[in-house]
Formats: sequence, structure tokens, C-alpha cells
Amino acid sequence: MKTKFLLLFVVLLLAAYPIVMGKSSPYSVAIMIVLGVYVILAVSLDVLVGFAGQISLGHAAFFAIGAYTSGIFTAKYDLPPILALLIGQAFSGSLAWLIGVSVLALRGYYLAMATLGLSAIVYSLIVGFQSVTGGASELRDIPPFSLFGFSFDEYVYYYYVVWAVVCLVVGSSLLLVKSSFGRTLTAIHGDETAAGTLGIYCDKIKTSVFVFASMFAALAGSLYAHYTSFLAPDDFGIFTSIHILIMVFLGGIGTIYGPALGAIFLKLLPEFTHSFRDYELLVNGLILITVLVFTQKGLWGMFLAMRKRFMEAFRSSGVRKREEEMDEEPVI
Amino acid sequence: MDLSQIIQFTFSGLTLGSIYALMAVSLTIVYNASKVISFSQGEFFVFGALMMVTLTSIGVAIPIALVLSLVMAAALGALIERMLIKPILGSSVGTIVTMTIAISLALRGSALLTWGRSSFVSQPFSQGEPLRILGASLQLQVLWICGATGAVLLLIWLLFERTKVGLAMRACSDNSLGASLVGISVRRVNFFAWIFGSSMGALAGILVAPLYFVQYASGVMPMLSGFVAMAIGGMTSTLGAVIAGMVLGFLEAYGIGFISSQFADVIIFTVLIVTLLVRTRLLAGEASSDEGGM
Amino acid sequence: MKKTLLVLLFLASILLFSLSPITPAYSADKVVKIGGVYPLTGYLSWLGEYYKKAAILQVDLINKAGGVADYKLELVSYDDQSSPEEGTRAALRLIQSDKVVAITGTATAAITGAVSSIANKYKVPAVMSSGYDLRPDKEPFTFNTAHPTFFAVARPFMYLKKQGISKVGLLMPIGSLGEIGTANAQKAASQYGLTIVAEEKFDIKSPDVTAQLAKLRASNPEAIFSFVTGEPAALVARNMQQLKLDIPLIVSHGNATPGFLKLTSGLTTVKLVVPSGEIMAPDSLSATDPNKAIIREFNKLHMERYQEPANYFSGLLSDAVLLVVQGIRISGSVDPEKIRDGIEKIKSFPAIGGVYNMSPTDHYGTRIEDMIVLTIKDGKWQLIQ
Repeated sequence: MKTKFLLLFVVLLLAAYPIVMGKSSPYSVAIMIVLGVYVILAVSLDVLVGFAGQISLGHAAFFAIGAYTSGIFTAKYDLPPILALLIGQAFSGSLAWLIGVSVLALRGYYLAMATLGLSAIVYSLIVGFQSVTGGASELRDIPPFSLFGFSFDEYVYYYYVVWAVVCLVVGSSLLLVKSSFGRTLTAIHGDETAAGTLGIYCDKIKTSVFVFASMFAALAGSLYAHYTSFLAPDDFGIFTSIHILIMVFLGGIGTIYGPALGAIFLKLLPEFTHSFRDYELLVNGLILITVLVFTQKGLWGMFLAMRKRFMEAFRSSGVRKREEEMDEEPVI
Repeated sequence: MDLSQIIQFTFSGLTLGSIYALMAVSLTIVYNASKVISFSQGEFFVFGALMMVTLTSIGVAIPIALVLSLVMAAALGALIERMLIKPILGSSVGTIVTMTIAISLALRGSALLTWGRSSFVSQPFSQGEPLRILGASLQLQVLWICGATGAVLLLIWLLFERTKVGLAMRACSDNSLGASLVGISVRRVNFFAWIFGSSMGALAGILVAPLYFVQYASGVMPMLSGFVAMAIGGMTSTLGAVIAGMVLGFLEAYGIGFISSQFADVIIFTVLIVTLLVRTRLLAGEASSDEGGM
Repeated sequence: MKKTLLVLLFLASILLFSLSPITPAYSADKVVKIGGVYPLTGYLSWLGEYYKKAAILQVDLINKAGGVADYKLELVSYDDQSSPEEGTRAALRLIQSDKVVAITGTATAAITGAVSSIANKYKVPAVMSSGYDLRPDKEPFTFNTAHPTFFAVARPFMYLKKQGISKVGLLMPIGSLGEIGTANAQKAASQYGLTIVAEEKFDIKSPDVTAQLAKLRASNPEAIFSFVTGEPAALVARNMQQLKLDIPLIVSHGNATPGFLKLTSGLTTVKLVVPSGEIMAPDSLSATDPNKAIIREFNKLHMERYQEPANYFSGLLSDAVLLVVQGIRISGSVDPEKIRDGIEKIKSFPAIGGVYNMSPTDHYGTRIEDMIVLTIKDGKWQLIQ
């Protein structure tokens, strides 16, 4: 109940943001678009890592696939963006299925390395096949996203498209993990062998989650391509995969909201630390360290703990009753 | 294709392989004792190399500079372990790994502030012409690297087989709960693993830097290659790490030489994935304690 | 506690909304802002430093001389962290928050492309300084003070031809830079009568290229061309020396920096050929050279302020600022679109990189003769013909 109230407030805030800020600070609206893209990436990765327990360092590979498919088909072949996006979805989904079927037999570090390899391979292929993926000066001239003839070239309008998708992604992820399917995932995460004995087809389920997460990553990629109008492989390598994983852990693994917070935090951080210039790298590291030392449950855990403390500060009989209700509420 | 070329490919493979092997060993040591894959190793690599450059440039002799750099790296590792790793030892492995990433950022930022952005040239251990065979040539430093890697392997074997500390480390690695039950201080072992691991990382940097150049951000690529080698080598075996590193190096060099340089990366990572899959299926019968940490 | 929750959320919203900077009220002095996107951190940071220093110096010089029209210049710069995504962000910030009238910077085609995309979208002139391939018809707002890549390849090829060399081997980086290098090499080779005898590729992060060099050697090249900058270039040179490939090595025009001298300090047998701008040899310029005075002056001031001489990159950024200012002068306006038109109309404008002549189809403005060729002797730059 509490959380739903919070969610509604956040959604209203998001909807109001461009209206309030659009004229005076269009830059911040543009930033929110990037934030939205990374929230999608972090949340989808959380479903895979936090719930299904499949560590993946290859998320950026699917981000790249979505981005480049959308980019190439709209810039070079003049396809409507929505069609290019759907092609990207189909492509990433099938690829994820193929990879999932083969690689998800691995666990833990091996899986991490294999997915790292995936990220590196996709990056190498993008760079290697220059003639397809961009030619001499990378991939440029990607048109803005358009739907039914309406072109979203103003960031203020595109913001709504992006955040609508974000809500879709977060919403469906929440639904997924709260459902019985979600409980199955948790079982697999806990102990795959045991889950198997309960009749759960671990392989099939792991693969479907991998496909789910990867398609969302590709979706984020398509949205990103139409935002920057320009793609270079630099933004889609191993480091991006690691970056997204950090967002998940920092925000609080397995909480959906946590990684969303983590994405926002990590992407906004440079805005505040860029004034440190040469010290920026050091400061970023120190801030991350501090967050990790103080909150082992990540940013979301920090938020929940703070919320609880505020409850205790305003203790009264009415509050106590609701507090008890809250304690029974699951984390999500 | 002539013999000279093939020999050169082999030398190139040896050069690359020795770098990967050494990095992998330092990573394996830390993982062995603490089950943590430390993303900070790349920064110790840089720290060791840059420290070496600074010391030799003010006239310190190479052997002394080497020892000093290693000691300082060990001290740095100790400091970090005490202040940052110990407090979060109880949390999930994922959190600890993220912490090592955060630490690596802070270390890299400090390196940037201390040494600036420029790239440095590091003195090779022995001045002299490269080794030449039939028109192919190998830098002498590579021989130093191979020699040092061999010495490290011997040292580790001695440590693990013949000393109490080593035995304690192995016990912790196998079963930390059981080890603590028989009175082994898991915390102490962890501490020691970090010191040892960070000085190994620094040693890798000191040895490898003369082959090309070093600057504040140079540590990341060697570390990633080390991770790959570690995975192929089986996470806990130092010998496996060395062999895997060497194999990777040769694979890369021969891939470049005989196939094409364009897709060398693709070849290597495909081999990695295939190896991992094969290894997992081979071990599928055993109760897999090799969950891989996470 | 519902209340306190709301308070917390309210605070969070304030924070979020605070992303909007407080726009300063008009100050008494009329100020026009020029933006800069420079790689100050990341693998290109060595370059970003030079860019920023030169831009700051040039802006100061112009202000000391009275500014432009009634305006004083103000440089607003952001770090693109050597990443295209951050480049996009920096460009957006400059245009939307700081309201700059033009953007200068950055390095590599990838980051430049990101910035150029944004600049053209918002119709703000971008005077870039990198190997980015210009297409004035598609991106009319983008200009480039770096000499066209073709010149940077053809000029050293001209030198090779004069030395009687005709067989060239290519060792190109994997990726778009390599593609550009190869394409231009082939064009230059056919134009000047040289032959490309072999080509190999390498990963710029690789610590060893002896395998590729061994393969190249089999085709008996008389010179090698590797279109890379900094560490990879020095590595190729070093590996060539190791393999006793004592033939000239042409590298990219991005290597004329003190850092590169340091990187190549141990090399004695490989002859490095670095194409660059006249700023690298201020004392060797002929008396009739229209750029001589400007170059020497800028070099002197750079030396005074930063205790190091200006280099090719300092020259590029200084020219970028000068071109923007000239664009303001010609158009008589500080409106970005009009400034763009002004820049395009620049004719016979002597600066550091050459005498600029812009046109609707040429947004570089320089000629091949504006480039010189350098080699390294005793740790110093030496002009070679």
C-alpha cells in the first residue's frame, strides 16, 4: 500500500517533469531520456541476475544489437523506426534464445566470463564489419523516432515515449517477479538442483528469462539510437556491461526498484562531480565505496531503512498499527 | 609463409602469453584464498609499474626499486583490505566484487592525480639486443617474465604445500566454515591473500610495463585478459592459470598470423566459451563445488 | 509518517528539478559564450589538455585585444571523458544550458560525430578538430580545423616519392580509423605513383605487433604506414626496431606532441615520419610564409603561460576559436545560424594551420601545402622535406 502510493507519486512527478522543466532547462529533459534508457537496462538485468540468479556481463551486447539494428535500418534503409525496432526485438530475442540454450548451462564465474566473451564478440563484430555498421565515420544520420507519422524529434516529446517504455518495462518486470513464475525463479536462484527435483524445467525457464531480459536491453538500445542519432561502438563494449551490473548491485540486487535507483544514481553522478575535474575519478570511486560500506543492501536498502527510521521517529498508536502492516509487506 | 614468420608468431605468442599468465596468476591467488574476484588487480598492476618508473627515474637501481615497489603495493593492499574489505566480508559476493570495482576507480583516480595523464616508458631489466633466431626476434624482457612466472609458481607451490599459512589458505578456500571451526582465522587468511595478491599484481605490472608503455588507465586490459585466462585455467589452479594464459597468447598470435587480425578477439572469446562449456559438461557428473563464486 | 514520506519525496523532487541551473541575470559586460567539448579524462585525456589550454589562451588573447564586436568571449568547457555518449551529453549541456554560440573540440571521429549530430540538430556551428570526415551537405554546421585526412596521408606520401620510395606496407588499426587510413592510402598511392604492397590489421590495445610486421616484411615494403596515434604508433615503431625493419614509418598527424617524443625516446633505427602543421617548426618557416608571424606569436605566448611550446593540437584549437570569432565578425551577429554562415564565408584568413578558405562544399579550408613532414632526431622534432 505504501509502495503503491509512492509509485503513483513518482509517475506523476515523471509526467510533470518535462512540462515544468522543458522550457527553462531542455538539457535536463535530455538527461532524463538517457536515465530512462539505463533504467530499462538495469531493471532488465536485475530480473536476470537478481531473480533468476544468472550473472551476466553481456547485457551491453543486446543493448548494441537493438541500437545498431534500429540505427542501420532507419539510417541506411529508410525503414520506419517502429519496424526497425521490432526487427531488433526479433533478432535479439532469437539470438538470446540460441545463446541461452547453449551458455546457460554454465554457472557463476564461468557464466560471467562467457557472457563477457559475448559482449566482446559483439563489439568486435560491430567494429569488424564497418561497412555494415557505419562505414568510415561510424553510424550517423539516424532519424528521430516516429510513430504513425508523428516524429519525436523534440526531446520533450521523445521523453514521454522513452518513459512510457520504462514504465512498461518496470511494470512487466514487477508482474513477472511477483507472479508464480517469479517464485519459480527464486527457487532456481536458491538451488537449481533442488528446483529440478521439484519438477521445474530449469533450462527452459532460465533461457526464457534470458530472452526476456535481452529483448528489453535491445529495446533500450533502439530508444537510445533515436536519441543520439549517432552510434559508435565505444559505448557498447565490456565496460558498459560492467557499468550496468554495478548499477544493479549498487541499487540493491533483486529489488527491481533498487537497480532503477542505481541507474539514476550512477548516470547522474558525473553531473555533480564533473566540477571536480581531475579529482572526478577519485571522487566517484570514493562515493561508490561509501555507499557500499554503509548500505550492504544497496541504495534501495538504504531507502527502506531510512523509511523505517522515519516511521519510528513518528511513533504513535495509529502509526504503530500501520508499521506492523508494513513489516509484513514483502520488500517489493 | 616462411619459417621466420612462424617463429615470430611463436615469439609474439610467448610475449602475449606471458603477460596473460602472470596476470591470471595474481588473480587466482586472491580468488583462491578469499573467493573474491578482485577487479582492483588492474590498478595494482599500474601502481607497481608507475612506482617502478618513478623510482628508477630518480636513480634507484632496478632490483632495489623492484623490492620497494612490491613492498609499497603490499602495504597498499593491506590498507585496502583492512579498511574496506574487512567491513563487508559478510555480504554477498556480488557486493564485494562491486566494492573492488569501486576501489579500482578510486585507485585509478589517485594514479591520475599522482602521475598525470601521460604514458611512461619503463626500463627493461636487461639492456641488450633482442634475441634473434632466423630473422625473428624476441624481447629479452619476455624471458624475464617467463622466469619470474616460473619462480612465482615455485613460490606458490612451496607456500601452499610446505607452510602453515599456505595450508590455512587452502583450507579456507575449500571450506571456510570448516576452516574456522578448526581454529583458522579466516580474516587473517584473507588479509594475507590480499597482500600477496596485490604484490603479485604489482609484480606483473613491473615485469610487463617495459614491453610497451604504462599510464594511469593501463591496468584494465591486462586484467580482463587475466580474467579470461583464469576462467579457462579453472579458477583455483595457479598452474592452470599459467597454462591457460600461455595458450591464450599463442592462440591470439597464431590467429593473427594465420587467419586474420581483424577477428582475433572473436576467435579467442569463442574458444573461451567453448572451453567453459566443455569443462562444465565434463564435470557434470561431480557434485560441482565449482559454482564459480557468485 | 505519510507526511514525512511526502516530505522526503518532496526533497527528492527538488533535487531532481535542481538539475536546471540557475540562469544568471544579464551582466553589464556583453558576453558571448563559446563551448568546448574536450577529452579531459579517459584514454584521450593527454590530448584534451592541449585543446583546453590552447582554447583558454586564445580566448584570453582575443579578450585582451578588445573582444569581438562589443562582446567579451567566455569559454565554457566540459569533459567528454573520451566517450561518445558523454560527448553527446556535453554538447547538449553547452547548447541548452549554457547557450553557447559555437562548439569547439574534440578528438576521434566517434566523439566528434556525436557532438556534430547534436550541433546540427540544434543549428549551432561546431568547429571540430579531429579526423572526422566532413559532409557539408548533410551536416552544414560542422567545420574542421584539422587538416583533411587525405592531406595527412598524401603529404607524407609526397615525401616518400621524393625519396625514391614506391612500395608501402599498411599496418592499420581495426575499426573505422583503419578503414579511413586504408582508403586514403590507396587514393594517395594512386595519385602519387606509389604501390601498396601489403596490408595487416592490429588491435590498438595489443602489446605486440611483431606477428603482423613479420607478415608485412614478406612483401618487401620500403616504408610502412600506420594510421595510429600515441602509444600504438610508438609500439609499431618499437616492434619495427626489434625486427630490424629499418625503413620509414609514417604515422598519423596526431603524433606531433611532447608525449610522443617521450614514448619514442629509446628508438634509434626507425625513421619516423609525422605529418603535421607548420606550428611544429616555427623557426624553419620561410619569411614569406603568411602564417609565420601568427605562429611565432602564439608559440611565444603559449610558452610564457604554460612553460611548454604549442603543438599541432594547440594550433587546431586556437584556429577553431579564431574561426568562430571571424564568423561573428563577418556575419555581424552572435546568432549561431548567422555565425555558421559567417564561417562559411571566410576567405584568405591566415591562422595557424594555414590560410583558411571556406566554401559551401569545403568546410576544412586548408590545402595540402599547409602541412609539413617531421621526423624525430635526438629526441627533438626536425623538419624534413
